[in-house]
Amino acid sequence: MKRRQFLQTSSLSIGVPMMLNGMGLNTISKSKLFNNLNFENDKVLVLINLVGGNDGLATIIPMDSFDTLANHRPNIYLPENSLLDIGDGMALHGSLTGIQALYEDAKVNIIHDVGYPEQNRSHFRSSDIWTSGSPSNEEWTSGWLGRYFDLNVPGFPDGYPNAEYPDPIAITLGAMVSPTCQGLITNFSMAVNDPFEATDLASGGDNYIPSNYYGDELSFLRTAVEQTNQYSEIIVDAANAGANTVVYPETDLGEQLKNIALMISGGLSTKVYIANIGGFDTHADQVEDGSTTTGWHANLMQELGDAMKAFQDDIQAQGLGDRVVGMTFSEFGRQIKSNDSLGTDHGNAAPLIVFGDCVNPGFMGDVTPIGPDVEVQEGVPYQFDFRDVYGSMLMDWFEVEESTIQSLLYADFTYMPILSPCTTGVNPIKDKPAEGLALNCYPNPASEYVNISFQCAAEQVTAVLLDMQGRVVRSLFDRSVSAGAHDFNYSLDGISPGAYMLTLKTTSGKQMSKKLIKL
Amino acid sequence: MDRRATLSTFFGLRSESESQAYAPAPRPINAGLEPFNGTWTKEHAAHLLRRTMYGPTFAQINLSTNAGLQATLDQLLTDPGNPAAPLNLINEEDPNVPIGQTWVDAPYVWNVDVLDYRNRSLRAWFMDNTLTQEGSIFQKMVLFWHNHFVVSDVDDPKYAYQYLTVIGNNALGNFKQFVKDITINPAMLRYLNGNQNRNVAPNENYARELLELFTIGKGPLIGPGDYTNYTEEDISEIAKVLTGWIDRGFFTQDANQAVESDFLSFWHDTSTKTLTSKFNNAVITNNGEQEYADLIDIIFEQDEVSRFICRKLYRYFVYYLIDDTVEQNVIEPMAQIMRDNDYDIVPALRALLESEHFFDELNRGVMIKNPIDFINGAMKSLEMDIATDPLQRYSFMLQYSWMLGPLQMTPFFMPSVAGWPAYYQEPAFYRIWINSVTLPYRQNITDAIAWAGFDVAGHFNAINPLELIATLSDPYDPNTLIEDLALVLFPNGVTPAQVDFLKTALIFGLPDFEWTTEYANYIANPDDTNLENSVTVKVRNLIRTMLYLSEFYLS
Repeated sequence: MKRRQFLQTSSLSIGVPMMLNGMGLNTISKSKLFNNLNFENDKVLVLINLVGGNDGLATIIPMDSFDTLANHRPNIYLPENSLLDIGDGMALHGSLTGIQALYEDAKVNIIHDVGYPEQNRSHFRSSDIWTSGSPSNEEWTSGWLGRYFDLNVPGFPDGYPNAEYPDPIAITLGAMVSPTCQGLITNFSMAVNDPFEATDLASGGDNYIPSNYYGDELSFLRTAVEQTNQYSEIIVDAANAGANTVVYPETDLGEQLKNIALMISGGLSTKVYIANIGGFDTHADQVEDGSTTTGWHANLMQELGDAMKAFQDDIQAQGLGDRVVGMTFSEFGRQIKSNDSLGTDHGNAAPLIVFGDCVNPGFMGDVTPIGPDVEVQEGVPYQFDFRDVYGSMLMDWFEVEESTIQSLLYADFTYMPILSPCTTGVNPIKDKPAEGLALNCYPNPASEYVNISFQCAAEQVTAVLLDMQGRVVRSLFDRSVSAGAHDFNYSLDGISPGAYMLTLKTTSGKQMSKKLIKL
Repeated sequence: MDRRATLSTFFGLRSESESQAYAPAPRPINAGLEPFNGTWTKEHAAHLLRRTMYGPTFAQINLSTNAGLQATLDQLLTDPGNPAAPLNLINEEDPNVPIGQTWVDAPYVWNVDVLDYRNRSLRAWFMDNTLTQEGSIFQKMVLFWHNHFVVSDVDDPKYAYQYLTVIGNNALGNFKQFVKDITINPAMLRYLNGNQNRNVAPNENYARELLELFTIGKGPLIGPGDYTNYTEEDISEIAKVLTGWIDRGFFTQDANQAVESDFLSFWHDTSTKTLTSKFNNAVITNNGEQEYADLIDIIFEQDEVSRFICRKLYRYFVYYLIDDTVEQNVIEPMAQIMRDNDYDIVPALRALLESEHFFDELNRGVMIKNPIDFINGAMKSLEMDIATDPLQRYSFMLQYSWMLGPLQMTPFFMPSVAGWPAYYQEPAFYRIWINSVTLPYRQNITDAIAWAGFDVAGHFNAINPLELIATLSDPYDPNTLIEDLALVLFPNGVTPAQVDFLKTALIFGLPDFEWTTEYANYIANPDDTNLENSVTVKVRNLIRTMLYLSEFYLS
């Protein structure tokens, strides 16, 4: 079909590297972090969409601002003794015991305040922005993963599945496909409710397709029927071949993640799975009146944390830890002040949680302090652009060239070290950093010098300053230190004004980064 | 080269290149809202009826063909009014509602579960209405407005019923009045937290959706908190205007307490509210319980409101793609009619449905049917026999309502306040209904309709293939038989190759005269059950095959 050829050519052309400096971080990051030759073939990304806009301030609570936050949220704040302290000025919602366990086991990277400039507070627009990866003021109709697939899965859906792509490209759990996988022509994800259920749809008629909109819809329907039949067989085979090794919570998300683990275990080469958990639009009754640790949001937190923990345990037990990472996302956070309905209204940025053996454990960014003076509709400002998160995942997980990421997402893409070498299997160095590095740098913004404070065991520690493209700008130190807290002072002489990532690594495998602004 | 511009052009639907990229062929529909001037044929009648009501029968298409466009529209647009209230058919425990009486005004009862049967009754009643009201656009409008003014997960079926009466009362009425009624509707007050919107701490949930989804729509973000048609500041101010409303009667056991809304002045923000330049800096002074109406009058002063609702009607009745030509030739004049009639719905709707644009052949068969249209279409076009005994009918309708869950279209259980994504989610739109999970469900249902029927509560709800084909123009000729059924079931008829294919389903490759002979034989010997069964099976097989075809999924 001519139209498809045209599109294919066009979409390929946007993948042609456009950056003149070929010294992007991709070479550094990949060669340093990963040595897997079959990288592109076996990595799996699992997205968990928290539908409705998750209240970040009730998910990761900024403990240094506990009192002011409680003042802004007198009717819904969570009592201090109910929270799960994870150090570094952060505590988790009391129902997130699952995530607490994963965090302490160095399987979680919490990225603070992910959002985008010019926040759109409409669910629908902001969901579109998050699923498409568009700028806030532009409407893109393809999904961020769909565009990636457009480049790598030529001509889909015509002629698929085939020998080179024997399995579904992406799978959305449930009965709707995720807009993240919407390509220019078609959605790359298949909807799967029950992987054991075989389908054998009847089709018929000739192949007459008129060349108009009617013909286009007809063609879509016929292809959907054919593909459903073909992929159904493949998925049932995988479900029968696969296994689950842990008991999952009997929740909607638990069931979805269980089926994802089963399909991965059964050998599908599917790149992306999307699970959904709804109900985060907590305008009212986010908490129970007078018992704020219970209620709607607490139930969601429990469901999320428990399912995530079970999934990670299952994946690890099956030796799949170095193939699978998961990531949450939600269309926005919620406002700092609560409303009078025991709820919160649409806000701005919120934390995003990446989990798996191959994350850089710890957190990225600062715990944003909440001051005493907050405007009525104020939300939490963003520290990280969600497109930087997406791009960094594509770069480190799917080995996408930086220049391609710039064309898939945006020209100002900034690499973030979210992932790291996997900690299972061949690289058992870091078992469990019992406590965080508590990395801090101050003053921040800094002009002439910066103090770097951290704590660690007696070990070798390196600190480097990366620019926002991930290039090493300066190696600050590489030395063995004694156990305990340290505080070093470094000159920033010769460092150009701008934003940097200060990254600290230890031989015991801990790593932590902070954003540093040089004036 | 400005790379960003190029990329955004490439990825954005709003730009020309994306539209071309997504479209298979140019769409030269220049026809606009001018009245249809072509020859009125049965294909035109079928198109109009298929889009405005559920599943026309062969007889209805013929009636409309003979009556002409204007007479058909007169009938379609006549407001039949709300159907009679749902009844208690099964629960003998409800002390206030005897069997055969309605529960919609009856209180709840301590220690007696009356909720469950009322919920079921409402669900069954809703489906029954979509199948019962003949020859009117009313039921499709009810679904349109339910999808526009979404209320979901209502819990109390009395609230849901009361909301539906407001939907029905306004479905073919005045849009401005509709917005006023819905703004203080008890179910809506609960659903979007209007009942918790108080002066001390406004809840802006309803204010936001009132603008974004119900009236003016959101334009591009052109500045911080500025959505072209309104700003965050407007939302904040409008939330204040709407403070003070509560609902009464939620799960009440008080026989004297109706489901109603109430205005509490002490929870109302009495300050003066000022909207932005988007609304000509309108100043809204305290007007107590009439203030919400003042606000809605101010919103409706913006012409964009008429365009917004006309686009939505267009996407529901015509096609999802609104390009510049459609915007200019259809939406703009339609919106003008809407405004000229002070937001009466029917004149603008009629103009759309009698336009050259609506009847352009390129708009035929481009819409993937939503699940209700799909199932109703099959059942009604094939004149399925559905129980008439109230209890048996109720049981069937209830079963029908359960079928909609897996197909992602259960009334009152919407995925979000924006309604079903098929009507707004770019670029897939109607295609969202179709995927590897919903397709098998759809085929199971058409299989049941064509073949096994639904044996529910002692009644066999099924099509009667022989009675059905007897209503067609020439059932003796297999070609005409298939073409007549295709007129009813498919948006663009059948090609000669498809007729041949379908004949293999009917008579397995035998020459045409074999069918003619066999059918004539049956007509001559109507009491011969062997003949009857033989012919029935052949027609069932034909119908089942036709319902499998992708053509049947399109309207």
